[in-house]
Amino acid sequence: MINNEVIAKAYSSINYVVAVTLFCIGLYALIIKPNLIKKFMGLNIIETSVFLFIISSGYVKGGVAPIYTHDTPVNALFVNPIPQALILTAIVVAVSVTALALSLIIKLYDQCGTLNANKLKELR
Amino acid sequence: MKKLFTYFILFLLWLLMVSAVLALPPIGSETTPVTTHVIPRYLTEGVEEAGAENIVTAVILNYRGYDTMGEVTVIFCALIAVLAVIGREDVKLHTSKVDLVGIKESVIVRSVVRFLAPFIMLFAVYIMLHGKESPGGGFQAGAILGASIIIYTMTFSYDLTLKKFFVKARTFMESAGPIAFFACGVIALFYGQNFLTYMIPAFPFATQEAMRNLMIEVIEVGIGIGGGTVISSIFLAMEKVEK
Repeated sequence: MINNEVIAKAYSSINYVVAVTLFCIGLYALIIKPNLIKKFMGLNIIETSVFLFIISSGYVKGGVAPIYTHDTPVNALFVNPIPQALILTAIVVAVSVTALALSLIIKLYDQCGTLNANKLKELR
Repeated sequence: MKKLFTYFILFLLWLLMVSAVLALPPIGSETTPVTTHVIPRYLTEGVEEAGAENIVTAVILNYRGYDTMGEVTVIFCALIAVLAVIGREDVKLHTSKVDLVGIKESVIVRSVVRFLAPFIMLFAVYIMLHGKESPGGGFQAGAILGASIIIYTMTFSYDLTLKKFFVKARTFMESAGPIAFFACGVIALFYGQNFLTYMIPAFPFATQEAMRNLMIEVIEVGIGIGGGTVISSIFLAMEKVEK
């Protein structure tokens, strides 16, 4: 099942494999860790893995940044601008989500005095 | 037992996703669907159609303008939600925990930050104004601007930041992003063009391209100022404790 061909394929798309691994690490933190802040760190890791995945899909071998300057050659090879544009806005949204989550956590800690999800479940 | 089961499920998920990922076209290939669908047109026509030498800016502000407009509104809504949950800080009532305890940063940190903070802000302004023809733009500039204000607050006093960067001014600046976007998008409607095309007829003193460039710059500045202020406002609201 795991032969040289598969390993070579995995090596050539190492970014995707790393993104998938990061996704699983983030999901692990989201499921296992009882602390709410650690859960949101896991969510941030998942977001990062998605960014890495989408950015990697837009790379073109030998391409340069998609910016026209006065000395850009006529048939220049550019990388894909769309994933970069998507991720640029996605990062900002990730920051907003994190900020909102952290503010909710601050309020929760003020009210309940704990951030442990298992203990919070028992409170009524 | 429960943990072992979770590890097992996560490992199965990892295997599934790796096998799916390995079936994708390899990274760097020019013939993937991602790279062949609309990209050639963006890359060849982008400068004339969208009016920005930086194609990423052209995509953000023109081709996918609706997307970015929603994005800017999302940041603004996040700020509103944060303020609704934990409330805005008040100079008379609140201070930060560091100020309350009375810890002072070391001389080295304070000297370096006092020297660097203006230059960080200047760099943010440079990035904001040059997003059209070089790497950068409003979002990046907003992040740098917010970072400079945060580093200033953490090094010097919280009250000092509130005195210099007071709430009334921030209330106006936070909404700069959505307002600049909507205003520049709506102008085109009065001339019978589509929303967010920035195509208005030439004035006697400016060509069509010049007006479009001006509007793109206005939007970049709006996003930069709005984003930076939103980030610093969220930080200041989270940092507060009662006196």
